[in-house]
Amino acid sequence: MADKETVIGVETRVAGEIRGEENLVVKGRVDGKIHLTQALTVEKGAVVQADVDVRALEVSGTLVGNVVASESVRLLASARVVGDLASPRLMMEAGAAYRGRVDMGDIEAARAAVAGRAVVKPATGAAETAVRARPAPPRIAAPPKMAALPSTKMAPKFVAPAGSERASGSTPPAAPPAFPRVAGSVGNVAPPWAKKKIRRR
Amino acid sequence: MANTVVGSSIVIDGEISGEEPLTILGTVKGKIAVTQNVTVEPGATVEADVEGQTVTVSGKVTGNVTAREKLELRADSKMVGNAKAPRIVVADGATFKGNVDMDV
Repeated sequence: MADKETVIGVETRVAGEIRGEENLVVKGRVDGKIHLTQALTVEKGAVVQADVDVRALEVSGTLVGNVVASESVRLLASARVVGDLASPRLMMEAGAAYRGRVDMGDIEAARAAVAGRAVVKPATGAAETAVRARPAPPRIAAPPKMAALPSTKMAPKFVAPAGSERASGSTPPAAPPAFPRVAGSVGNVAPPWAKKKIRRR
Repeated sequence: MANTVVGSSIVIDGEISGEEPLTILGTVKGKIAVTQNVTVEPGATVEADVEGQTVTVSGKVTGNVTAREKLELRADSKMVGNAKAPRIVVADGATFKGNVDMDV
């Protein structure tokens, strides 16, 4: 265990920079920088005030600082995190407190990597993708819709313009009962108030 | 496990302080000040002033070492710096350069 994992114990504080190529578990306190090629675990009760650059990050304690995790970030229920997160995968449990910006980069690549498993919890992951998905489709979809409208939707309106447009254009509640009674004379019988409104247009 | 372990591939540049045993297999530069035992394992490199209860060196230490109880330099250890401790043990094969202060 000692060979594979570095532990900063509950009663220990490190001020400075930690670099390495193995897992690090912080139960105590670290101030400064953490740069690992492996995973960092910030346990419950631990306080890390540092910029973090790791492969994977799991937080149950308190973390203040900017994070870059090349693989994933997991914030458990007891986590308290302030700082920007950059990682292709983010998991956040209910109860986790977080303030900062999230950048998930190429989400599709991350999804492909996780394909088959529902590991990416929708809490923030889905919200993030949804937000990103919205702006893109309209740009592509809008022009075709505009082009399609005149031929399909506009046409029917012109087919029956006189009756339908006047009826709906004037006063919907009062007009319908009036027209059927005067039936037969169609367009000519339009009441003066209706004509005036049409003229104004 | 309440101890603190600095793994073999880890480099800490700064200060380590605390109230529990510290085991170093990697590299520490700066300062170490703990109230419990400090163990510098074989292969480990410490370029720091070290302060602890019992300090056991099997690796390499460059810096002043203060042990409240005992300083132990194991075989194949290498130390350059001043040693201050009431009891000092130097094993056969250890390399040491520096002043010794046993408070006598």
